[in-house]
Amino acid sequence: MTSSFFHNPTLLAAAVAALLPFFTFALIMVFTRPYPRLSAVLSIGAVSVSLICAIFLLGSHWHLEEPIQYTGKWMISGDIHIPFGFLLDQLSLLMLTIVAVISFLVQVYSLGYMAGDPGFARYYAFQSLFAWAMMTMSIAPNMLQFYIFWELVGLASYLLIGFYYEKFSASEAGKKAFVMTRFGDIAFFLGLLVVLLHFGNLNIQDMNSVDVTARMSPALITLSAILIFGGVVGKSAQFPLLTWLPDAMEGPTPVSALLHSATMVAAGVYMFGRIFPFFSNSAVAMTTFLTIGTITMLLASTMAMVTRDIKQVWAYSTISQLGFMVMGLAAGSYFAGIFHLTTHAGFKALLFLCSGVFIHEYETNDFFEIGKYGGRGLKVPIICMTLAAAALSGLPPLSGFFSKEAIMGALAEQHNPVWLWAGLLGAFLTAYYSFRLIFSILFPKKVEAVHQAEHGGHGHGHEAGHHHAGIYWVMAWPLIILATITLVLGFFHTPLENFLVGHHGGGEAHGGHHAWLLYVAVGLALSGVGLAWLEFGRKGAPQVGFVEKVEPISALFANRWYIDRFYRLFLDYFIYGTVSSLFTRNDRRVIDGGIDGMCRATVGTGWALSFLQSGMLQYNLMVMFAVLALVALYFFF
Amino acid sequence: MEFANFPFLSAILLSCVVGLLVILFIPDERKMLIKWVSLVFSGIAMVLSIYLFFAYDKTKGGFQFVEKVLWVKSLGINYHNAVDGFSLPMLMLTGIVLFTGVLTMWELETRVKEFFAFTFLLVAGVFGVFMSMDLFFIFVWYDVSLFPMYPLIAIWGSTRKEYGAMKLTLYLLAGSALILPGILYLFVNSGLNTFNLVTLMQPGTFTPFQQKFAFILLYLGFGILAGVWPFHTWSPVGHVAAPTAVSMIHAGVLMKLGAFGVLRVAIFLCPEGWQYWAQLMAVLATCGIVYGAFVGLAQTDLKYVIGYSSVSHMGIVGLGLATVTVEGMNGAVFQMFAHGVMTALFFSSVGYIYDKTHTKMIPELGGMSKTMPVASGYFIVAALAGIGVPCLASFWAELLVFISAFKTYPIRGALAICALVVSALFMLRVVQRTFYGEKRDEFDHLPDVSFGLGIPRMILVAVIVFFGLFPSVMIDVIQVASIPFINGLP
Repeated sequence: MTSSFFHNPTLLAAAVAALLPFFTFALIMVFTRPYPRLSAVLSIGAVSVSLICAIFLLGSHWHLEEPIQYTGKWMISGDIHIPFGFLLDQLSLLMLTIVAVISFLVQVYSLGYMAGDPGFARYYAFQSLFAWAMMTMSIAPNMLQFYIFWELVGLASYLLIGFYYEKFSASEAGKKAFVMTRFGDIAFFLGLLVVLLHFGNLNIQDMNSVDVTARMSPALITLSAILIFGGVVGKSAQFPLLTWLPDAMEGPTPVSALLHSATMVAAGVYMFGRIFPFFSNSAVAMTTFLTIGTITMLLASTMAMVTRDIKQVWAYSTISQLGFMVMGLAAGSYFAGIFHLTTHAGFKALLFLCSGVFIHEYETNDFFEIGKYGGRGLKVPIICMTLAAAALSGLPPLSGFFSKEAIMGALAEQHNPVWLWAGLLGAFLTAYYSFRLIFSILFPKKVEAVHQAEHGGHGHGHEAGHHHAGIYWVMAWPLIILATITLVLGFFHTPLENFLVGHHGGGEAHGGHHAWLLYVAVGLALSGVGLAWLEFGRKGAPQVGFVEKVEPISALFANRWYIDRFYRLFLDYFIYGTVSSLFTRNDRRVIDGGIDGMCRATVGTGWALSFLQSGMLQYNLMVMFAVLALVALYFFF
Repeated sequence: MEFANFPFLSAILLSCVVGLLVILFIPDERKMLIKWVSLVFSGIAMVLSIYLFFAYDKTKGGFQFVEKVLWVKSLGINYHNAVDGFSLPMLMLTGIVLFTGVLTMWELETRVKEFFAFTFLLVAGVFGVFMSMDLFFIFVWYDVSLFPMYPLIAIWGSTRKEYGAMKLTLYLLAGSALILPGILYLFVNSGLNTFNLVTLMQPGTFTPFQQKFAFILLYLGFGILAGVWPFHTWSPVGHVAAPTAVSMIHAGVLMKLGAFGVLRVAIFLCPEGWQYWAQLMAVLATCGIVYGAFVGLAQTDLKYVIGYSSVSHMGIVGLGLATVTVEGMNGAVFQMFAHGVMTALFFSSVGYIYDKTHTKMIPELGGMSKTMPVASGYFIVAALAGIGVPCLASFWAELLVFISAFKTYPIRGALAICALVVSALFMLRVVQRTFYGEKRDEFDHLPDVSFGLGIPRMILVAVIVFFGLFPSVMIDVIQVASIPFINGLP
């Protein structure tokens, strides 16, 4: 087995790609933590090897006919087999490449962003941990292995969100993210158990085969599908577990770019795609998912319209776009959802990395402030960010346009037109909030001369390395690469579609009869941009959004529809205030009290009886006489 | 009389007993010498127990390394030691926890001699229970291991130590008071005039009624020591009162003694009673899991938090045993091992922090990651193991138990699984409040764990990670015992 393993370049590449980051994680944690530079080199070295392997795998399997599966034993206990292995098919190869590319770029970018941080080595260790977990999860052949690495990804996310652990808000956000996703994961795990018990197998290919319908009743399939979807709800921040993601922005910005927009949160959608045929066995479940996706998309868009924090805008937009992907998948278009995942990974990472440059430079998250300080002076990031925002809004010819059109096409196929309207409304809102931000930075209203002079001159990426606060070339290059990807990826629409769904499945989403849809969608997006221009862009713009004019609605949006408030109250009054304190009181009073009472009763009895042994002859004789008298009475009568 | 080539099991026992005797003959003042002697003898015990774990012949299975000497003929009592897949992990656990415990107490200055003497006495009893195949000896060793707890807590402890010690002793003696009649009942009713476990466990020795009656006595008796809900309140109080190494041994090993007693005595001798009472066991275990997690949420003392997490985790052991399946038993035994190592690490890190800061109240700590990054790191690893993060040992145990529990008792299993959220919440709360946040200036001058003091914690972390990455090393040994046992059930 070993020799064949080393002679098979595919398996070797997959193993190296997935496992190498783990070794660097261990190495950094155990040995090289005091040496930040060496740690960074190790971590980036490992992820670049992974990247090369991933690209090699994608390239050499572009015309893959049959999925390649390799499994070994991890643990066998009685009837439970937990294999460890790889499943290489179109979807997993694509995801592996996405993760490797973004991880690599983000790690390079972090060289600049995290420079001088006291936790530099720890940061790279966690990055490696994440890369390992995420890549091994992407190519897992079995849902149990998938679940295991899914949890590890959650761990990496917890550690990275709470990276600045001295900040209360950061550690609080990390905890919140872990517990909320754990909540979804419980449902996921229960769903897997239902499948395991009734189907007997969690192999992904078997779950996707037609066998499932033969061996499980429709009700069971619906039940397990909805439970498993709980994992997606947690990880991809769908309604009602969506509030952890905006808080997760407490982590360093590159982390937000990698985990909380491009890859980790997309894992939920990836899982949906992974066992898409299984989910599509149940129409009820799919309608449920469509509803959840739609609610999520609209709720998050409204939240993004009122925030002033640059990262929060992109966080809400991530939630909303994830909801949009779920809509696409739930509407039955496998390709549309996955394609949007791919393009979104590129432009959303770009948006965050650009924001990171602004935050690094001006040390504020408020984009109105950034605009006032002369944010547009930073040429590379502002151009890249505008480009990415246009892609997010679905403007042609950028990548987001193509993938959004694919999802719109899928929504139009639904019998109920409400989903399409919701999608179009979402497109309008997305364009509006994206360009509200862009125009605020591009065309600031009250220019403060001091900052203009200070920052205006040296914003250019390439020579800024000399300035202490400038953007370093290591931060600029990843932006440029991602921007290029955003520009050209859309034109790979057809090859990607052929790759993912084969030649037979083509044409599912963009039939000719939806030509009008294209114009409507782009038109709505442009009108969103136009509205943003009127309110924030043009000369003398009021800089007040139409939502902000209605106080209660704006408050509702800004408070995240009071979802967090509800959780807080639930935790405080039900979990801490009722269950926990009742149980604790029971422990102290009832159980302990009972035992203590028994002990006291024993001691008390001993004390009472001790009067019998007082040593006084009269008492003893009296008792003896009384007893004898009683015995005599008993015998005589 | 039969002996393997070399009496490994007796050698383990002897290393404790000889260690004890040698320490008794060293003068009080030679503290360093006492510590080194303890280290050497505990090291021998650990190496032997690990050797046995890997030397056990998995293809042959059954009881191996048998040592048998007739002791009292008229009562059928033998000095009879042997190991199987269930006891090997326990022996290894005891060896590891003893060794790391001795290292953890390296800085002890008060009454060093007595402390290590009592510790060795305690551990000799623990080893004895794990390897003995004679009911009489099991009971004797069991009481030998309980008795030193009282002085160890009452003398070296803290926080209401007299109350804690007394409570613990009374509870455990109450347990013994149930076990002894159970054992005698079985001895008398078998009519074989033997205490030999192997003879008594032959099918058909006891009628179903006898099994049901004896099982409940033995289950409750041993269960008290395993922290079965609602007989658990001695355990957090005892944990809190005990000194560091004793907490480690107590939570890490002693509680397993109870669970192991349920397995070895109650389940082995009364399998039909086991099947009869399994429903009840599952209810109590599920209550323990959920209840422990919720009560843990309300604690403000680090050691109480760990104490209640132990209640919750030992509930998982109980739930695994209650499923009457191979997976459940595998998971339960694995969980005993994993939980033992994990709590030892917990108490070891908390012990260090308490030694230096003189507080274990969560509100008084905070920002410890800045002050003592290494000590905090150990605690955080233990906490992550506690909430069942994959690739750490307890994850696999919990996974197996939950799968089999959900299969056998869907509702109770699902409830237990849901408690995972609560346990994640309370562990992360503790980690956040104690280790994250602004650092406190008053602790600035305190030193972090030095390399030498870090060794025991490193060993524990290494064990947790090793069995987390290679669970089959453990499971393959356990199932050598569990598969034939379940298949042999009537």
